[in-house]
Amino acid sequence: MVGGRVKTLVLAVATLAVAMGLAACGDGTVGGGREGEITTAKAGNVTGKLTISTWPGYIDPGKEGTVKEFEKETGVKVDYIEDVNENEGFFGKLQPQLEQGQSGGRSIFVVTDWMAKQMYDLGYLQEINHDDLPTVFENLLPSLQSPAFDPERKFSVPWQSGMGGIWVDTAKAPRIKSVNDLFDPKYKGKVTMLAELRETVPLVMLAEGIDPVEASNEDWLNAIERIKAASDSGQIRRFTGNDYNEDLNAGNIVAAIGWSGDASIIENENAEWRMPTEGCSLWSDNMVIPVGAPNTAAALGWMDFAYQPEVAVDITEYVEYISPVEGVKELLEGRGSELAESQLTFPTEQFTRNCTDQDSPPDLEPVNEAWQEVITG
Amino acid sequence: MSLRQRLVPYGLLGPGLLWLVLFFVVPMYFMGELALRSGTLTTGYSFDWAWSNFPDSLSGHTEQIGRSFFYAGTATVLCLLISYPLAYAIAFRAGRYRTLLLFAVIAPFFTTYLIRTIAWKTILSDSSPVVSVLQTLSLVPPGGRVLATSGAVIAGLTYNFLPFMILPLYANLERLDLRLIEAAKDLYSSSRQAFLRVTLPLTMPGIVAGILLTFIPAFGDYINAQLLGGTQQAMVGNVIQSLYLNQRDYPEAAALSFLMMALILVIVLAYIRVAGTGAFMESEEETS
Repeated sequence: MVGGRVKTLVLAVATLAVAMGLAACGDGTVGGGREGEITTAKAGNVTGKLTISTWPGYIDPGKEGTVKEFEKETGVKVDYIEDVNENEGFFGKLQPQLEQGQSGGRSIFVVTDWMAKQMYDLGYLQEINHDDLPTVFENLLPSLQSPAFDPERKFSVPWQSGMGGIWVDTAKAPRIKSVNDLFDPKYKGKVTMLAELRETVPLVMLAEGIDPVEASNEDWLNAIERIKAASDSGQIRRFTGNDYNEDLNAGNIVAAIGWSGDASIIENENAEWRMPTEGCSLWSDNMVIPVGAPNTAAALGWMDFAYQPEVAVDITEYVEYISPVEGVKELLEGRGSELAESQLTFPTEQFTRNCTDQDSPPDLEPVNEAWQEVITG
Repeated sequence: MSLRQRLVPYGLLGPGLLWLVLFFVVPMYFMGELALRSGTLTTGYSFDWAWSNFPDSLSGHTEQIGRSFFYAGTATVLCLLISYPLAYAIAFRAGRYRTLLLFAVIAPFFTTYLIRTIAWKTILSDSSPVVSVLQTLSLVPPGGRVLATSGAVIAGLTYNFLPFMILPLYANLERLDLRLIEAAKDLYSSSRQAFLRVTLPLTMPGIVAGILLTFIPAFGDYINAQLLGGTQQAMVGNVIQSLYLNQRDYPEAAALSFLMMALILVIVLAYIRVAGTGAFMESEEETS
């Protein structure tokens, strides 16, 4: 018996030694951003295979759709994955790979402004040479040419822009016009909010008359406190990603904080996107090329393809977000589309006068921690 | 014994041992090491024996841990109550439909877990027929809902882990020697007594195995709470997911995972002690 115990012990020690030996192969620090030079995406022949990770409802994936058109024109086989439900979750899933210089086989991600910046700062993105994208930089709207997060558009190309506001089921709650109305006990358990910190919290701050751009950490935490109280009382049904459309479609809710162009994935006929009386948030989702992306030539080819006005107009007609491409409005008018007159696809300055660009809190970590505690309450 | 003969058992153990080392010991080591690091995403996480991650990971999350116990415990009890009669019926009363019924138990596994859970979102949506029937029966208050409540999460867990309870129970019941029940009846026991004093004790190994197989994965589950739950239904799995994916506090996420694993291990060991190793390891009971 004693012999058996000794053997077991020897085995256990040997096992541990092997494990420690393996561990010693890794370096001391985990994370902290990728070291080494930032590379520029290589251009070349547009062939082979291309994998794109993006949000749902951002293109016509059908047989006559934009993806198929690109495949037909170039011969590139596109794997178009709609696996971005929220920025944080998507980033969290890929971060360990990006840290190793791998993109999980993807050549393009579509992420929101602040997330593109965060990825770039960590060394997870490749830079883009403007000469490789003649169509993009010929047609990009002037208002989008030098955003604060990427003044020279070194690493990001806008895919679509949009507004954060309220989706309302007008048959059930016609009077909801402000984010404050979402806190009305009348709608208890019939309201959802986005789990995106930078979307929901600034909208609540706006409703309280606080300018999110000038807001202090205190302001952010106060707004989170208000949302927490509503969550604890059951006022808010759940926090969602882009999947808020499911609850709206099923008639589970009367209103949701959501995005202006999601009509293509909302089947509830009474649902209507409303600009909150106190203003909205403005953002763009951008195409970026991650480190380790295979076939960057095809990725650049895709970007240039999508910026042809004739292609961009198809995208707008299907997705109903704000196109970054010049000339789309005229083409839509030519087609006699109502979208040419819509404030959701071509918002006037008057329409967005109270809106603010999406921004992060001054000191992210404590605010994000408080926010996540509300989400997983 | 020759040297070769003595080495044979180790050779046979080899593949299993290698598997354990590669897929259990090594990941555990990395996770333990990660739990002792500190830092942020931008500075990187460096190893500095940060034991404080362990108490930190528990603070503010006790409610979700308690909730996980409650949800997983309730789901396990419900699973047992549903599975036992079902497994009994399949084993003794199904006749030629036995294979078909067993297949029906396993069939849901042909669809992914995620899709099955999402399907429940549609079934239980506020205006669905199921919910209006429940409202008519006053099981749900008028204007009330099923989706985004604790009930929906527990129901989801029960549904998803049911086969893990049915199969061990069935395997156990199927081997039950029916002559023992006849003998009990010959000795003037009622059907109830025969069940309580013969069938139930003999199927304890199946019950114990079923409870473990159901409770452990249900405790760590986060899909049901995320898809079927609302704002106050997050389980500890959702907390770990949020720490890992949204706050990217990898060390705290690893520490919390470790603590939960230790907690479950302690509970399982205590449970086996109470339920008896005899019940868990049938062979020992037979030899004793």
